[in-house]
Amino acid sequence: METQVAQVAMTVNGTPRRATVEPRKTLADTLREDFGLTGTHLGCEHGVCGACTVLVDGAAIRACLMFAVQADGSEVVTVEGLAPAGGGLSAVQRAFREEHGLQCGFCTPGFVVSLTAYLRDHPMPSGAELRDALSGNLCRCTGYQGIIAAARRAAGGMEDQ
Amino acid sequence: MFPADFRYLRAESLPHALDLLADGEDVKVLAGGQSLLPMMKLRLAVPEAVVDIGGITELAGVSPDGDRVRIGALTTYRALQRDELIAARFPAMTDALAVLADQQVRARGTVGGCVAHGDPAADLPAVLLALDASVTVAARGATRTVALGDFLRGIYATDLATGEIVTEISVGAAPPPGQAYEKFEQSASHLPLAGVCAALSVSDGVITSARVAVTGVAGRVFRSFDTERALAGAPAEPASLEASAALAADGAEPLSDQHATGPFRQHLARVLARRALARALTRATGEVPPR
Repeated sequence: METQVAQVAMTVNGTPRRATVEPRKTLADTLREDFGLTGTHLGCEHGVCGACTVLVDGAAIRACLMFAVQADGSEVVTVEGLAPAGGGLSAVQRAFREEHGLQCGFCTPGFVVSLTAYLRDHPMPSGAELRDALSGNLCRCTGYQGIIAAARRAAGGMEDQ
Repeated sequence: MFPADFRYLRAESLPHALDLLADGEDVKVLAGGQSLLPMMKLRLAVPEAVVDIGGITELAGVSPDGDRVRIGALTTYRALQRDELIAARFPAMTDALAVLADQQVRARGTVGGCVAHGDPAADLPAVLLALDASVTVAARGATRTVALGDFLRGIYATDLATGEIVTEISVGAAPPPGQAYEKFEQSASHLPLAGVCAALSVSDGVITSARVAVTGVAGRVFRSFDTERALAGAPAEPASLEASAALAADGAEPLSDQHATGPFRQHLARVLARRALARALTRATGEVPPR
């Protein structure tokens, strides 16, 4: 079978981007390889670990479970697009630093993106709601306590962002 | 991790999608992709072509229509969770959506995809079966509607024929308010080792009818007719529930795997049936049961 290629266009972190991809190429691989945005990490690559979580049209989704061709025309935000344009960290990123919400840091982009999306829609979550919101992300280092502490801190401080 | 090479076909409309499907031998329909992509990556599914119906916006959304509520096949779990009509009238659906998968899957996964996939351990089909849902299926030049209980056939097996697409799931617009869903999840996958949905109608202190559906336990989601029969006509009080819940897994041929043995799954079904019935009864009567 002759390999098909497709042109895709999407806005990534506010910038229009184009790529030529095979249909089987995931959004995650396209972000990393075609757009050079290696902040989106790939852990399991089959929809379990959540390290590849990005925002597509505002929703936190797994970029390893979406083909780039499906994201054609979408608005994508990766972890690189969360920090304020002038530099520094977002409220969620700051909270992860202050509460030791990471150790090796591999899973952190996924957690930060998931939590950013969740707190945008649910500004006053309970502890149980935060745990559920982050249940699609796995961390093998921290035991999650620092991450939940960071999530609580970020939830408390979202308004001063 | 790459799937095998495939041809990608983007459908612009339902008729277009049906034409594309009819043109190919080995074609898969792609909606949210939350089950299909993992299967393609593991090469459990190796379609020659994929028809992406994700952009057909008219297949998404919840709309009341006379005595039914229509849920478009492309309605995501997230959209369903945020729908006011669903929240107001279908508390068991709200229960299931709150414990189904995770934030990321809920944002992409669709109701139609869930039903068409035929996973015997999916949450929502138990609720839909207890609510007497029907599935509308389109093919080129034809549309048919089938009861969900007849549509789900077995492990990843459904009534869906080659060339057909699930377009809509519908449920009665006035379901019994006494409904609840309870699950025991496999903690890594969030899939239910067992899940039970109960829907009770109560009148003058008597349970007039009951529908109880069980997922995760057998090769297909099934109704527990023994439990339903035991409940019909019983007093609407907690004491009626224990004995009938104990029948919830009777006659089921249970699944057994590394996560749970068959007898354990049946045990879970009985416990969850009791809990779901208790919560459903509370919602039906507005009374909090004694602990």
